[in-house]
This record gives sequence, structure tokens and C-alpha cells, in this order.
Amino acid sequence: MTIHLSIILWLPAVAGLLALLLPSRFARWISLIGTLLVLAYTITLLADYDRALGGLQYVTDELWISSIGVHYALGVSGLNLVLLATTAVIFTASALWTLVDEPDHGKPGIYALLMGLAQTAVLGAFLAQDRALFVIFFDLMLVPFYFLIVIWGGPDRTSAVLKLFLYTLVGSLLMLVGAITTGVMAADGGQPSFLLAELAKTPLGSTAQGWIFLAFALAFLIKMPSFPFHGWMPDGYSNMPIGVLAVFTAILSKVAAYGFLQVALPLFPEAAVEYQELLMIVAVASILYGSVMAFTVDSARLVLGYSSIAQLGFIVLGIFALDGRGADGALLQATNHAIVAGALIFVVAMLARRTGGSEKLSDMGGIAKGAPAFAAVFLVLSFALLAMPGTANFVGEFMILLGTFTSKMAFAFVAAIGVALAAFYALRLYVSSMHHRVAEKVNSFELTLREGLVIVPLLLVVIALALYPQFALSPAQDATSKALSAAQQVQNSDASNTTQGAAR
Amino acid sequence: MSLSLAAWLVLACPLTGMLTIALLGKKLSPRAAGTIGTAAIALAFVFAVITLIQLQALPSEARAATTSLWDLVNVDGVKIQLGLYVDPLSTFMILVVTGVSTLIHLYSVGYMQTDAGYVRYFSYLNFFVFSMLLLVLAGNLVLLIIGWAFVGAASYMLVSYWYRRDTATAAGIKAFVMNVVGDIGLVLGTLLLFKTMGVLDYGQLFSGAHAAFEKDAPELVIAMLLILVGAFAKSAQIPFQTWLPDAMEGPTPVSSLIHAATMVTAGVYLIGRLHVLFEWAPTAAAVGAIIGALTLLVAGSIGLVMTDLKRVIAYSTMSQIGYMIMGVSAAAYVGGFFHMMTHAFFKALLFMAAGSVISAMGGNQSLNNMSGFRKALPFTFVCFLAGGFALSAFPLFSGFFSKDTLLFEVGARGGWYWGLYVAGYVGAAFTVFYTWRMIYRAFWGEPCKEAQVVIESGHAYHPAEHTNPHTGNEDDPSTQEVEDSEVGFPGKEHKYAETTWQMRYAMIPLAILAVVAGVIQLPFGITDVLSSFLEPTFANTIVAYEPDQPGLEAFGLILSSVIAIVSLACAYWIWVRRPGTSAAIQARLPWLHRLFINKWYFDEFYSIFVVRPVIWIGRWAHDSFERVVINGALIGGTSGLVKAGSAAVRAVQTGLIRSYAAIVIGGLSVVLLYFLVRAL
Repeated sequence: MTIHLSIILWLPAVAGLLALLLPSRFARWISLIGTLLVLAYTITLLADYDRALGGLQYVTDELWISSIGVHYALGVSGLNLVLLATTAVIFTASALWTLVDEPDHGKPGIYALLMGLAQTAVLGAFLAQDRALFVIFFDLMLVPFYFLIVIWGGPDRTSAVLKLFLYTLVGSLLMLVGAITTGVMAADGGQPSFLLAELAKTPLGSTAQGWIFLAFALAFLIKMPSFPFHGWMPDGYSNMPIGVLAVFTAILSKVAAYGFLQVALPLFPEAAVEYQELLMIVAVASILYGSVMAFTVDSARLVLGYSSIAQLGFIVLGIFALDGRGADGALLQATNHAIVAGALIFVVAMLARRTGGSEKLSDMGGIAKGAPAFAAVFLVLSFALLAMPGTANFVGEFMILLGTFTSKMAFAFVAAIGVALAAFYALRLYVSSMHHRVAEKVNSFELTLREGLVIVPLLLVVIALALYPQFALSPAQDATSKALSAAQQVQNSDASNTTQGAAR
Repeated sequence: MSLSLAAWLVLACPLTGMLTIALLGKKLSPRAAGTIGTAAIALAFVFAVITLIQLQALPSEARAATTSLWDLVNVDGVKIQLGLYVDPLSTFMILVVTGVSTLIHLYSVGYMQTDAGYVRYFSYLNFFVFSMLLLVLAGNLVLLIIGWAFVGAASYMLVSYWYRRDTATAAGIKAFVMNVVGDIGLVLGTLLLFKTMGVLDYGQLFSGAHAAFEKDAPELVIAMLLILVGAFAKSAQIPFQTWLPDAMEGPTPVSSLIHAATMVTAGVYLIGRLHVLFEWAPTAAAVGAIIGALTLLVAGSIGLVMTDLKRVIAYSTMSQIGYMIMGVSAAAYVGGFFHMMTHAFFKALLFMAAGSVISAMGGNQSLNNMSGFRKALPFTFVCFLAGGFALSAFPLFSGFFSKDTLLFEVGARGGWYWGLYVAGYVGAAFTVFYTWRMIYRAFWGEPCKEAQVVIESGHAYHPAEHTNPHTGNEDDPSTQEVEDSEVGFPGKEHKYAETTWQMRYAMIPLAILAVVAGVIQLPFGITDVLSSFLEPTFANTIVAYEPDQPGLEAFGLILSSVIAIVSLACAYWIWVRRPGTSAAIQARLPWLHRLFINKWYFDEFYSIFVVRPVIWIGRWAHDSFERVVINGALIGGTSGLVKAGSAAVRAVQTGLIRSYAAIVIGGLSVVLLYFLVRAL
């Protein structure tokens, strides 16, 4: 079957444009149909991708900007296969939510266009096989979000956007400089190229590698966000509309994690090895700091925000264990966290509806009374968030810890503390809203049909992944071992040098 | 029906029951939900019996079957199957679990009938049974961990079942987090084993252990100690026991099922399951045995002074599990699992009888308020006596034979195991005292006002207002928080056994078993049903499976009988003949009483050294670090830099973010367009 990646890539943007041009009462429907089409297409992709063969498939490669050698190169590999489907799922859920559950905030056409552009940019970053193209999409990704926050954001949107803008701009610019430098240096006076496959063949000198790697790492860590680069997160999260936040927290952070595997590790293997422990320290610090913050904040939204910092810490830990199993786990966890965190963002909105609009845990209590089905859905999602064994999140964490255990055991033990803390903050979120006596502001009601339309499919995905995590893991195996191979070679040669040195 | 199909059906029954009840939800009448729930477990018991029959049909050396549905994980050398391991030990466990659970479900149908959350209750209860069965049937360590964690989750859900009670909610969180700490130990231990051996399946773990590790190799010992953390947390052993007494916040049948008969024995099962590894790491096994001995003494001592009826039984459970942990760690496998079985019978029974008494008290749980229920609740009284005699190991009752088999096998190992043997018999005296203290205080003496009500009206005492007995002064309901009886709080009526047939019919078989179950494994090899049944599982044990020291065995039986009878006589003296005696002893040794009544200060220890520091760090991170460093220095610094830079381009600065964005995007677009045009 022929699958054109360009169709998947540009479909959301086209749908967005249509939504803008056609009468605005159709805008949300068009947006939903666009996301559904992408979803159908990515599911076809999941079924059609030849797992036995592995590697890069459905490749599109055109020389785009010849003067600086930028290619329009797209492809699907084990690294992005499942993430593409995950992206489609979350954007569909968001579009559905906006259609059925959110009051009209006005200007639905522009909203649909911006969301469409955002999805195209995200898909572009996942699909890009040329680094300049990746960087372009990675940076473009944020532009729609600035506008979405500015137009539909909460009361502090100005400050939120300012912080988000400052942080991500710093990261993006550094990455842009890094990308150009690599291309130019690799060209060594000749025709510059940004194709990943080409670049990986001509590794840079170690000093330059180190700096450029750090530039990329910083951009990724800011986007995740990771401790201590999360300063934009509290305001940013608090002021995004729910449909936007779900996408942001679920998907954008994963693009950054994916960037490590797709771009940073293959191109800068020496630097990755050199800074392995630094990145692992950042990861563990994120796990601990995010968890600790998550059980002190009062805003339900920010509990999820800080828990994301911790969960992304696990993902970085798995990647920088530089062990295939850790990276497999990280990739699985990227999908798991996207689905679970996305679903829980909608849950927060549902909680707020039952608490007179407040998202404060201190205003909640006893919501389970009168809403048993809602409570059950929320409970299962909370268990998934805390990576309870039996969920795919546990399999992800297990693989991450396994990889870390093999390469740097001490980090695994410290990270394990984060697992206990996660149990506490996830349960705190559930218990302080659902249990206890019914709070004054609370007026609880059962899950509505519309809410169920959004949340139940996500729950079913969580359950399906729990029953068969191998589905998401099996394509990862080859892809991660390719992504890690350069770094592992560096490690091995380092190790043999050391032993030789010791022998002398 | 094949062995593996029967085993899968054992698992399928409670899962189907849970899903049916949960999905039908409010469409089900309470009675229907209870019936489905009970029937699902009863059917699981039937399949467990079929599993047993099929297993026994195999030749004894072939009695370990594995069966798997699909691979959960199979990448990079990590293979985790959704697979079961059926051998005599796991079959023994599913028989006990499904058998006792069926009766407790039946009891619940009566006991919980006016509770507004009835449907949710039975779906939780079925989920718990499913989890426990998954735990014991799992074919590899990861699946075991999954069952293990599900059991912890079910425990939280049922402890916090009355979720509008703050006390029940707090207890649920405590149970869950403590259990997660145990889970992590188990996970880390598993990872450590995997690091050396590269396998997770039981069969490969057992056959490869001796080749992979030296005997008592540090790496193996550490792995097994981490796994013990899991066992201790689940089985409420020191120092992870603090959640168990609080877990009594759950409905009484839950205490009976989870916190007495099944879940807390998971640690015992785990050590028995991994006995090949524990025997190969004797240092870790010794730690297990010593912790078990300490727990049985500490818990017994606390049981002597508690005034909440359910908590006395809870500490008794902890103490009895201490015996089992000590036993299986010291390779007393027959004794350990024998005692586990008899304990499941008599402890489930005791909780059921206690539930009946508490109902008759109108929900009040304090022994200080109870007296004279002998006449008011004759059936409950007889059941309580049967359970009490068995628990206190009175000669010829089931607990007598099981506890003695356990201690005999420990003592037979000689050397330092004698210390454990002595601890076991000291604990036996404690057991008699706390058991009969309960019985004498609740059933002897003049009937209290609640007992009078039952005698006169044939109904349970009905307090004017429902209150939470875990708040305020436990002896005085007027100081306690007032509740309604809608969902999230206990139902409006209290049911006791004398007037509720489901409760009676659940208690009768258990009472009979509590008395006679000992006959399956009598001393001196008179009967050996259990030891010969379990033998294939422990065929490769490196210590004597059935020690042959009739002298020691006889000595133990006599010692045990003397302890039981003398202590019972003393207890009678203290609480019936001279009722002031216990108060006098308490006045004589106030510090000891304080130590016991404060549960040896474990909660305070955790509060000072774990909970408060973590909360303090959280507050500090929240109030200081986040504000000063992240928001102040990092954001302030960055924006300061930008402001300084922007001074240069003040001409275009309008101070509005939209302009910034527009300029950047505009600029980017121009650059992009330029390249596009050039390229075309």
C-alpha cells in the first residue's frame, strides 16, 4: 500500500485553513474531521509498517533549498511510528473536547487553523529526516501556541506568554545556531547538508560536538520542561485553555524526548557519552523535584504539570542510560505519558465543572459522591499516572530502570524514590478531590455523555496498552539500538582504551 | 478440562465478576450484585478444585506446569509472558484464597446489605480476589509484581471504602504508600536478579540460581533483602507494619478477607515461592526469620493493651504472620503453610464474629464498652470461642497442630534457631492472653446496655446518631464526628449473625474448620496430607523437609499444651475472677503500658524521620526554591538580559508581547520566503 507522508503532514493545516475560510459554524467540525482523518491514516500506518523489516520506511526525499542543502525528507521508523499515532489520538481528543465540551470562546475558525498548524508542525518534527527541517518544525511548533494562549488564555496570559516565549526562544535560537554550525562544519567548505543519514557519517570534533550537543540538549530540556528550566511551566500551564493544554503537555514534551533519540544521540555520540552523567543528574533531579512539588501545590493542573516534569525525568533517564532497554522503555513511556497526562488534563476540567469552576484541590472534596463512573475512570487514570504495575506505564518505568540499572546502578536507586513519591502525589490528587466530605463549592454529577466521548476512548487506549505493551515496544527495539549504536561504540572504545591504559 | 485451562478459569471468574458488577453498576439491585460476586468466587473455587484434581493426576516430579497467553514484553532480551505457574504451592494458595473468599463474600451479602455503596463494594471485593489469585498463580516475577500491586491497590480501595470519612481516607493512603515502598523493593530486587541471571521466569530462576551465584554471594543477598522489603510491607512485618492497624478502617468483612486471611500472607507465599533463592542466600533468610520473630513478639505485646476490638485482632494477625514469616524463612515450609491455612480459617472467623459484636454494639468498637454478650449473641459467642481456642493454640484445636509443626521444624534446625523457637513459645503465651482478654471482656460479665437491647428486642442497638468510631474518644460516641448513612459512609442498619442467615452460614464452616482442620497434618506422621502434597514444590530444598526428631516434637506438644492451659487459667484469673488485676499491673508498669499502647512508637518514628522531612522539603521547594531561584534568578535573569538587549532596539519596542511575536514570526517568514523563492 502506498502511503504518502506528505498527506498526513499537511492534512491538519489544510483542514485548519478550510475551517477558517468556510462559515465559522462548521469550523469545529472540520477541525475534528481533519484530526480523525489523520488518526485513520496513522492507524493504517501502524498496521502497514513492516515491523519485521524495520528501519526507515515510506521515505520522501526532495532537495528543497539547494543553496544550503536543506532536504524535504520525511520517513517513518520505529522511533516515530507509535508517536505519530499518539499525536493523532491526542489531537483528535482535543478537537472532540472543543467541539462537544467547551463553550464557544469565539473565533472558532482561527482556533481551528492554529490547532491545525500546531499538529502539522508536531507531525513535521516527528517525520523530519533532515535536521534543518526538524529544527524548522520544532521552532514553528510553538508559534501557534503563543497565539492560542494570547487569544484564549487565562487571566495571566501576558505573563505566561512572555515567560514561555523567553525560555523557548533562548532554546530555539541556540538549537538553530547549533544546527547551522553542524551543517556548515560537516560540509567542511563544500556543499552543506543537513540530512541525518549524511551527517551521522561525518562526526564532528569533540569540542565542537560538546557545545552543539549542549545547545540541543538545552532546547529539549526547556521544552519538556526539565528541572531547572521549567520556570515557564506554572504560568504557562495555568493559562492555557484545556484543549490546548492537553496537546501541549501530552505531545510537545515528547517531541523534545524524541529529539534526543533522533537527532542528538546519533549526531553527537562523543558528547552524549561525555555528558551522560550530567543529563542523568538533570533527569533524577527532575524526578525528585517534580514529585516533591507535585504533592505540595494546590492547583490540580499544576499537580499534573509538576508530575510531567518528573515523568519526563524518567524518560530522559532511560535515554541517557545509553542502554537499549532503557531507551525502549523511554519511548514506550513517551506514549504512555502522552495518553495518560492528556486524559487527566480533561479530568481536571471535569473536576473544575463540579467545583464551581475552581481547580484548587482545597476547594474540592467528595466529588465521587454522585459520580461513581467518573470516579472509576479517574481512579484508573491515576493508577496509570503513578505507573502501577499492570499498566503500560509500569512496563515503561521497569524498562527504564532496567537500562539504568545495567549502566549506572546508583541512579536507578535514587530514581526509585521518585516511584514512591509518584504514588503519593497521584493518590493525593485523586483522594483530595474525590474522597472526604462533600466540600462547600462542590456540586457533583455523573460523567456526562459528552465527557465520556472524550475520556472513555483515551481510557480504552490506556487499557489496551496495559494488556499488550509489546505492540508499542516491538518497533522500538531496532530503532533505539540504531539511535544508540554510535554512542555505545564511543563508550566501548573508551572502555577498551582505559583497560589498555591500565595494562600499560 | 486441562490443568492450564482450569487455572486460567480460576483467574477469569473474579475478573468477569468484577467487570460485570462494575459495568452494570446501578442497574443491579444490591442483592444481585452480591449474588454475582459470591457466585463468581464460588465458581473460582470449583475451578481451583479441578486444578487440584488435574495436578494430582500428574506424576509427582511433573507437578509444575507453565502456561502462557502472550508476551507482554519481548525486546532486547527481556521476555515477560502473561503466563502462569501451577504447582502444589500455588494450587494450595488458590484453594485457600477462593475457599475463604467465597465465605467472606457470602457473609458480606448479609453484613453490608444496607450499605449504599453495595455494588461498588462487590466489584472491589472481586477485584481483590482476582489480584490475589494473579499474585499466587503468576509465572514470573513481573507478573507477580503486577498481582502484588493490584492487591495493594485493592487494599487501598477497600480500606478507604467509606471514602467520605477522613480517617478511612488517611488510612487508605497510608496502606497504599507503604505497599508501594514494598513494591519498589520487590522491583529493585527483581532487577538485581535480572542483571546477573537475565531471566524472570520462575523455572529458569530456580534452575539457574546455583550456577549464577556463589552461595550467599553479596549481590544475591542484597537482591533477596530487597525482595524481603516487599514481603515485609505486604505482610505488615517490622518496620513496615504501621499501616495494618489503620487498615481496620475498612468494613469488617474486608478486614477478615484482606487483612487476615489472604493479602497479608502474600509475603509468606513469596518467601516460600522463592525458597530456592532464599536458601542459597542464607544471610537474607536469617534476616527474614529474625524479623518474623521480632514482629510476633512486638505485635503480641501491643495486642495485650489495645482497646479497639478490631485492632486487637489486627495485632494478633501481625503476630501470627510473624510466625509464618519466621517459619518459611527458616525453611519450616510445612509448618509455615499449615499455619497459614489454619490461620486463614480461624482469623476470618474471628473477624466475622467481631463484626457481629460490633454491629450489635451499634458500631462501637471499644472493648471498654462491651460486656456480657454471651447471652445476647450465643451463636457469635460459640464461633468466637472456636476461633479463640484455635488462635490460642489450645490442645487439639487446629492452631495447636499448625503452630507446633512450625515451631518444631524451626527448632529442629538447631544452633541459633533455638532463639527463634523460644521466641515462638513466649509469643504463644502472649497470644493466649490477648485472645482471652477479648473474649472475657466482650462476652463475660453483666450485659452492657447494647447487649440488653439485643436480649430484649432482638435487634441491634441503634444509636441516635451515626458517628465515626475512629474520631474523638473511642469510648464516648458523643465526642465523635457525626455522619449520615448515604454512600461514602456506613449504611443505616447494623446486621449481626443471629438475625442474618448469610453471616451465620459463612461462619459455620469456618468454625468447624477452625476446630478440626488440624487433622490433615498430625504430629509423628500420623497424617501427612499437607506435607506430601507440597513436597514436589520443595523437592529441591537443601534442608530437611520433614525433620525426624520425635523427642523434640513430643516436647513441643507438651510445652505448648502447658503454656496454653496455664495462660488460659491466668487470663481467667485476671479478667474474670479478679477484674482489677489488669489495672493494677498497668499501674505498676506505666512505662511498659505506654510503650505498648503507643505501638512501640513506630508511627512517631516515621513522622519525625520520614513524613515531616519530606513535607518540609516540599514546602521549602514550593515556597522558597521555586520562587527565589526558578522564578527570581532564572526568569528574572533571562528577562533582565533580554531587557538589556532590547534597550538597543527600543525604537521598535512597544512592550506588547504580540508585537514581539509578530516581529519574530514576520522575520522568520521573510527568511523562509526568501529561501523558498530561491529554491524554486
